Amino acid sequence: MRADNPLSEARRVLRQALVIGAVGLIVAVAVHSPLIKRFVRGEFRESFFQAAEYPGVRMITLAEAEDLWAAAAALVLDARARSFFAQGHVPGARNVPADGSGSAIPREILDRPGDMTIVVYCEGGTCQSSLALAKRLHDEGFKDIRVFSGGWEEWTKAGLPEEKGDGQE
Amino acid sequence: MVRNKAVLLVFRLVLGGLFVYAGAVKVLDPLDFAQNIRNYDLVGQSLSFIAAVVLPWLEILSGLFLIAGVWKRGAALVISGLLVFFVVLTAVTMIRGLDVDCGCFGALSRKAGLGVILEDLAMLYLGMCLLFQKRGTSP
Repeated sequence: MRADNPLSEARRVLRQALVIGAVGLIVAVAVHSPLIKRFVRGEFRESFFQAAEYPGVRMITLAEAEDLWAAAAALVLDARARSFFAQGHVPGARNVPADGSGSAIPREILDRPGDMTIVVYCEGGTCQSSLALAKRLHDEGFKDIRVFSGGWEEWTKAGLPEEKGDGQE
Repeated sequence: MVRNKAVLLVFRLVLGGLFVYAGAVKVLDPLDFAQNIRNYDLVGQSLSFIAAVVLPWLEILSGLFLIAGVWKRGAALVISGLLVFFVVLTAVTMIRGLDVDCGCFGALSRKAGLGVILEDLAMLYLGMCLLFQKRGTSP
């Protein structure tokens, strides 16, 4: 016979919830074991980016970003918010704030040839918006997108030139 | 609180269905969901990964239990708990002024904001009705 007092009832509900949680955990581990193995091996520690899914997108260092910028060999895109961009950015960079709701990439950029080199950056450290922008550019058909992961932080630390203002020609 | 059996049945199917759907779209692309969690900038890379792997299955299972009518109150407790967490998370995100995708319904997601909170509260109401229904009166 089951006791029907509120306390034992509450325990029963709680137990059900815990079992559902435990089963969820087991199913998750079982289904995603290949992905979990990759994580344990050390993948996805920097970003949840699968290079194989985004051919043409790769990470670059400050030195490479500086070279490309100095040679004017790439279109530089700043993925930070407009206000940060206005306070200072890589000279000649265009601002394409990659907000969560996915603001549009300007037509003028989309119309450029797909094989042109594009460098994207954001604040640096753990910022994710440059990678998000790189993925969107990839989906738009661009084939050479380089993510300068050190970002604005590394650029200024290295004492490289900066430009202020909203910079949109 | 709603006590009508037919209405509670509809609540169960709607809420269960929504959670199964929300979980399923995330299971299909765990890394994308992990990135969504990371974007909230509350937990680091590893916790984002773990949450992205486990959370969708929690949503699917509790949704399925609710639809099947098995352990409905336990399932309603899991779902209500998740919704309370989502509401707090979204509110904190708004207060911090972050502009992130809510990551809630796959392609149907939009910016984490007031709309998302209101939706979560509406679902929470359904969850509460199911959680606090009297035993034996449930459909």
